[in-house]
Formats: sequence, C-alpha cells, structure tokens
Amino acid sequence: MWKNYAKDYIKNNRTSGISIMAASFIAALFLSFLCCLFYNFWLDGIEGTKLEDGDWHGRITGEISGNDLAAVNHFANVEKAVVNEELSGEQGTVMDVYFSNKKTVYQDMRALVNILGLPEDAADYNYQLLSLYFVRIPGDDMPRLLMPAYLVIVVIMCFSLILVIHNSFAVSMNSRVHQFGIFSSIGATPGQIRACLIQEALVRAAVPIMAGILSGIVFSFGTVWGMNAFAKNLVGGRQMSYSCHPFLLLLVLILSILTVLVSAWLPARKLSRLTPLESIRGTDELQLKKRRMGFWVKKHSPILSTLFGMEGEIAGNAIKAQRKALRTTSLSLTLAFFGFMTMQCFWTLSGISTNHTYFEKYQDAWDVMVTVKDTPIEDFTLAKDIRELSGVDSSVVYQKAEAVCILPEEAQSQQLLAAGGLEAFSGEPQFSGEGAFQVKAPLVILDDESFGEFCEQIGIAFRLDGGIVLNRLWDSENSNFRYPKYIPYVKDDMETIVLHNAAAKGDRAFESMTEIPVLACTQEYPLLREEYEKSDFPLVEFLPLSLWKEIKRQIGGAEQDAYVRVLANDRTEPDAMNMLEDEIMQVVSREYEVESENRIQERIDNDKMIGGYELILGAFCVLLAIIGIAHVFSHTLGFLRQRKREFARLQSVGLTPAGIRKIFCIEALVIVGRPVLITSMLTIVAVALMIKASYLDPIEFIKVAPVLPILAFIITVFGFVAWAYYLGGKKILKVNLADALRDDTMM
Amino acid sequence: MEILKCEGIQKLYGAGNSKVTALDKVDLSVEKGEFVAIVGASGSGKSTLLHILGSVDKPTEGKVIIEGTDISTLNQTEAAVFRRRKVGLVYQFYNLIPTLTIRKNILMPLLLDKKKPNQEYFEQIVGSLGIADRLESLPNQLSGGQQQRAAIARSLIYRPAILLADEPTGNLDQKNSREIIDMLKLSNRNLKQTILLITHDEKIALETDRIVTIEDGRIVSDEKRG
Repeated sequence: MWKNYAKDYIKNNRTSGISIMAASFIAALFLSFLCCLFYNFWLDGIEGTKLEDGDWHGRITGEISGNDLAAVNHFANVEKAVVNEELSGEQGTVMDVYFSNKKTVYQDMRALVNILGLPEDAADYNYQLLSLYFVRIPGDDMPRLLMPAYLVIVVIMCFSLILVIHNSFAVSMNSRVHQFGIFSSIGATPGQIRACLIQEALVRAAVPIMAGILSGIVFSFGTVWGMNAFAKNLVGGRQMSYSCHPFLLLLVLILSILTVLVSAWLPARKLSRLTPLESIRGTDELQLKKRRMGFWVKKHSPILSTLFGMEGEIAGNAIKAQRKALRTTSLSLTLAFFGFMTMQCFWTLSGISTNHTYFEKYQDAWDVMVTVKDTPIEDFTLAKDIRELSGVDSSVVYQKAEAVCILPEEAQSQQLLAAGGLEAFSGEPQFSGEGAFQVKAPLVILDDESFGEFCEQIGIAFRLDGGIVLNRLWDSENSNFRYPKYIPYVKDDMETIVLHNAAAKGDRAFESMTEIPVLACTQEYPLLREEYEKSDFPLVEFLPLSLWKEIKRQIGGAEQDAYVRVLANDRTEPDAMNMLEDEIMQVVSREYEVESENRIQERIDNDKMIGGYELILGAFCVLLAIIGIAHVFSHTLGFLRQRKREFARLQSVGLTPAGIRKIFCIEALVIVGRPVLITSMLTIVAVALMIKASYLDPIEFIKVAPVLPILAFIITVFGFVAWAYYLGGKKILKVNLADALRDDTMM
Repeated sequence: MEILKCEGIQKLYGAGNSKVTALDKVDLSVEKGEFVAIVGASGSGKSTLLHILGSVDKPTEGKVIIEGTDISTLNQTEAAVFRRRKVGLVYQFYNLIPTLTIRKNILMPLLLDKKKPNQEYFEQIVGSLGIADRLESLPNQLSGGQQQRAAIARSLIYRPAILLADEPTGNLDQKNSREIIDMLKLSNRNLKQTILLITHDEKIALETDRIVTIEDGRIVSDEKRG
C-alpha cells in the first residue's frame, strides 16, 4: 500500500500533512530543548559540585604512609590518589581518591580501607557528586531527586506531546477515512491500513523532526546564554558552559520518533478498526450523544442558545460533539491561563510582600552593607575612616552574639502578665531555678560612638557600662507578622539583667553568668538591617563595644563576621550609591576580607531575578498556549470534510454565510472563554488562599492586580483562535453547496 | 455447483423498542455462473444482504458460505483478505480512490496481495470495458460511466468467486446504464462470473437469469428465468 498509494499521496498532497509536520516539529523541538537543557543542567550540577565540594570520589582519613599512598595508586580501579594537604592535620592524613569506574566506588573504597588496615568509617564519599554520576552510595540518606525529576519531566513531556499531537495525526487520517473504507472493501487488511498510515506519518515527520531537534538545540543554547547573561550581573552568579553530546542527540531522535510513532499509531489503530461499511458511509460527521430531555433540560446548549439564538445552539452542539477532539485544546489553554494568571498574581503578591517585609521596612535602615569576614568587632579599626568618607551620612559597626538571660517572673511587664505571661506566648518557656525564665537574648554590639548616638536617639545619658533592652514582644495573639503589634516585654524600671553563655550548661552556665546594668528599656532600636521579631520571643539587648570587651570572655557566642551599616548622603542615585560602595570597599578591603552590597543594586538585582523567573514561567505558559492554539489550528483546518456536509445542510435550509461566521465566532469564543472562566474562578480561590496565608490586605492586592497583562494574554490567545477559525471558515464557505449535498466522496 | 449459500441470516439493528429487523431468516443459494438480481423497495434489506454477502458487515445470526468458507465467522483481517480475493464489490458511487490513477485503482486488490497482474487478462478487461485509453487518468477526469467501468474492472481483476453490484447504474444516465449492464452480462457469459446485482429497476432485473425479491427483510419470491 505504501508503494502504490501512500507514496503518491504524499507526493501529490504535500500541503495536506502540514498539521502532522507542525506537530512533529513541535514534539521534536520540545524534547530536544528539554533534553539539551537538562543535560547541561546536569553537567553544570557536576561542575558546581566539583567547585563546592571538590572533584574527589572517595576520601580516606587516618594514619597513611607514603607506601599506603603508592598502594592505593596501584589499585586497579583507582585513577589517582592524592594527599589533601589542606584537610590533613591532627586527625590524620586525608587522601582524596579518584576512580576510573565510578559504579564500584563503594566496594573499592571498602577494599582500600581494609588494605590500609583502617576502620570502615575512615572512608568518606562525595555523595553529591557520585549521585550525579548515578551512583548511589549506601548510607547516603539525602533525597537525590534532581535526576529523577529530570527523567519524570521528560516522560511527562512525551505523554503530553502524544496527547497533544495525536489529534493532528487523527485529523489528517480521518480526512481520508472514506478512502480507507474503499481500500478495506477491496481487501486491505487493518494491519495494511495501519502500517500505511504509520509509514506515511513517519515520512512526513522525518524532516520536521530533524528541524525540531536542531531548533531545540538552538533554543536551549539561547536559554543557557540568557541565563549566563543574567547571572553575570548577580553576586556569585556562575557562568554555565554549553555542550551537546552525540548520544544525547541520538536519545532525542529516538524519543521524538517514538513520540511521533505512538501519536500516529493511536488514530491509525482506531481508523484501521473501522469496518468498510462505517468508513464508506462516513461516520465521521459530528454526532451528539443522545440526551435525556426532561423537565429541566429542554434542549442542548441552553446558555448559548439563549445568548445567541439558533446559531448559539448549533455552535454549542458542535463543540459538544467535538469535545473529545478539543480536549487537548481545552486542557492546554486552561493550564496556560491558570499558569499565567496565578503567576502574575503570585508575583504581584510577592512584590507587595517583599516591599512590606524588606524594602519598605529596611529602606531607611541601610544603603551600603559591608560584611567583614571572620573579624570580631573589637578588631575592626576602620570605623572612623568610613565615617569620614564624603558620601557617608552615618555608619554603624556592629556584631551579633547569642546569649541567654535569666528573667525573673516578676520582671515581666504588666501587659505581658495580663496577656497570660511568657508561657502564653512561647508555649513551654525554660525555667531557671525558682521564679525565673531562661530567655534567648540576642546581643547586638555597637561601636561606642554608634551606641552613643543610640543613647541620644532614645534620650538617655551616654554611658558605656550598661546595655539597652529592646523592650517589646510581638503580640502574636492579637496581630500577625505582617502588621505586628507589640507589648512591653519587661518592666521599665529593670535595673540589671543577668546574661550567660548560650552554649554552656549546668555549672558552666552558672560560672559564665554576668550581671550588667540596664541603661534603659525602650521600644526603639538603632537603624540596622536586622529583624528582631522572631517566633521564639527573644529579649534583644544592645551593648556598647567597651562593655562587650569586658564580658565577652564569659558570654561568648559572637558570630564570626562583623557588619558595617552605612547611610549615604545621596540615597536615590544608583551611580552615587555604587560609587560610595566602591569607595568603602577601597578603604576596608585593604585590611579585611569583605563583601558588600548596596540597597539600590540589591533592588535592581531582585527586580532582575523576578523578571528572570517571570520570563521563564511566562515562556512556559506561552508554550502551553501555543500548544492549544496549534491544536485549534490543526483541528479547524482539518475539519473541512467533517463539517462540510453539516454546513451544506444548514445552508440548504437558509443559513447565510454571515450565520456561519457567527457560529464560528461563537465556537472560538467558547473555546477560549470556557478555560478563561474556569481559570478565573480557580485563580480567585488561589489568590484568596495566598492572601490569607500571607496576611496581606486584599485591598492592597486589588489596587495593583495584574489585570492588564492577563487581559492582553487572553485577547492574544483569542485572536489566534479566531484566526484559526477564520481560515477554516473560509474553506467551508468556498465549498460548492450542490457537490457537498450530493456526495462528499467524489472530492 | 453451489458457490454461495446463506442459511437463516438475520440482521438486527438497535435494541429494545428501537430494534429494527433488516433481514429476517433469509436463506439463499447461488450456483456458479449465475446472474442474480435482488430487487425490492427502498429499505427492504437488499443492501444489507449485499453487505453481508460481501463480508463488509456481519449477520446477527445465520451462516454465509462462499466457496466453502463461512464468512460470518471471519475476523477483520481474514474478512479483508477474503474480500480481496473472493469478492468483487461495485457501488452506486464507484468508490474509486481519488488520488490514484485508474490503472492503480483497478490493480489495487492484486497490489494489496503483492501479486503481479496477468497483463493479458488486465488488457482484456480494460479493453472490453472501454477504458484502455484512460488508464493514466485520475477518477475525477472521467465521466460517471467511465468511473463505474473502472470500478467493475477493479472488481473483476482478482477473478472473484462472486461479484456484488449495489445499484451500479443508480447514478448513471440511460445510455451508460445500458452499457454497464451489457458489460456485466458479458463478463457473466464470457468469464462465467457469478453476479449478484441489487436494483430497484425492473427492466434491469429482467436482464438477469434469476430474480430474488425481498420485502421487509424476507425473500418473498425467487424466480428463475429461462
């Protein structure tokens, strides 16, 4: 049949398989794009792991001599073994081992430690790296889900593509159901018909598959390039290299062919099973399922019928009859709309939330932040130099430490006691002996000058022998974290506070106890980029550096890094801010290892990052919409035969071309409108849940709701669907009425 | 020699109250080389009978035996092969493949079986049917009569046991109708081809050896003509 029929048919009807070619192209494009992208993500994962954790496969720690090293190097599967000088020390020599065959790393490492006479726990593994090489080491209890996730996505993509494109094959095949009926009547077996259709599909798909694979490679390369361009501007952003292995291309080719094959096989199987009688009589006209007409249900498509009259009913019935064929369209458009709407709403809500919790909250708190690595605050000597820079309005040098304070029960404020005491907030507070709580006491140590400024801010006399208590507790019972309310934590007249080392227990804790004077209890705090309202209800204290120097030996718990918070004179100009940041860095980086960030740049980076996410997710939604639209195109362009008679009959009883156009418009409207309606309702529910979860004021969201982009997206999709119907409708209107009514087998 | 035998063929459509009996216990026997006309009013069941005899449809009950094979028990593939080799079907609307030349349309049953045509026989058929000069044309380039001749040629190419023609002249003018009937008679006479012709035209029926009349799915008369 192939030689005598299909070959000629393809040659003489090149345009009839456009939908098949388009579908095959899309399938190959998606698969190639995803596989190439995942392959490069995988390679990048390996690269990243090597940079972060090292490129070793196994590591042996213990007493290892030069002979031992040579023995390991001579082990059959060992590529090389080297001593890690950096990690070797008191606990013994650390040897990094690299294997040729990574699959037997576990067995080989066990054998090696046995040979070296070391205990089994002397062997360590680079679990992350080995898992990326698909080697799972016993005892690695981390869920390594990246590769399975890639695999699952590719499989889901294959199934989705089959669902999406098989209809294009079905439309093309069904347009010739009558011809296959004739073949069947003169003796073509179902197997011959099936084989012919599948061969034909594969021949038509061959070039588009190759083109799709190439385009997928180009797209994936473009994506990696775009990600690199984006990462270049981010702090710590690493460049990703791009490569494409021949085996990967072979895999993509096999996947694409399989996808096309299954997509062609599904309708071919169905068609070949039709009896010659069914095929010749042409049962492919749109058929509505029988429906019980009762009191409630008077007719089909009551809503469309009411809205648009007879044309509405005809359109509604046609869509019902095509429900199965249009399932992919409905699904992909629904997913695309839902994805786009929720994404837009999510980013809007996220923007509001970020503004509340970050930018608005800390807008006045900092302009340039410098993290001075591994430096205790007392060792930082450049505070004055920074203050004297021309662009600096004010600066604070500070360090954080963790301590615990002993809070007598009677020290709780009246308001706290009235609210049920500390027990009511922190559940089960730790008691320290009789009548006192142990409460976490984060310490913020300020340089003396900044502490003086803080004293001035709250209106107390400047002293360096005591601390200031941040006297506020988040009233979590009567407010949420978004719009918090506070009550005083302790009584205002507290004179001293007892602190001890947070890590010390028992007698050592007792020994580390230090009582320091409380200069003031206040609800104010110095402008720092810090958040104090934590869920474990700590009692925050601000200490001057001079006092810290005296008590740090007992209290300890200081973080490794110190921070410099700078407020600039010019707080709006990105260039001025960048310049100031550079100046500060020049001063500080000469003596310390530092990292810096500035508020405006951070905002730009944040916006860019959100923009990047939006672009990726938006592109995904657009792709889903394209699948839906492509499906509508292949469907509408293929329904000439199927609906020619339907419309000829309607025209014969007086339906005008304008009426036909109206029917098509209604169909297009319903095809797009229904997913819009469903997703709008789902989105409203989703947004309501998001608003509830984030404790935002709904009015705030409504004011900035992303109505315009959503409307633009819907109108664009509707435009394409309408265009597809316009093209299909034009074909229908060109059909000769007499021919269509007499017989449709002669075309 | 009996070439076709039907025993108690029943064909029901639908179920329950909407059940329709298209054929009701039909028995029929046809000898090799017979030219039989099946006549009846529209809806009498004659086309259903032809479809069952041509193995494009299955009876609800009963047996259809053609050259010793009970075709009512064949599966889809077996039925297709049987149709290809043993049955020639001619329809009112020709049913030629529009994208194939007349030559390929005619040879299709052989090509499906990957068999080479007997060139002499092929030329004899197309010559006697008067379409030898139109073999490279596409169906839509031929008149209705020519298309029907091509359809007859296709039905004869495999030398089928039986040729079933469903109103072959129903879509043709008088002159072409006459010619088609003459050709069927010719093939019956010269090739000893067994033919079952469905028609509602009494004049055409009178050209055959035997007239079987069907009414409401039953054979009401079976008259052999001298």
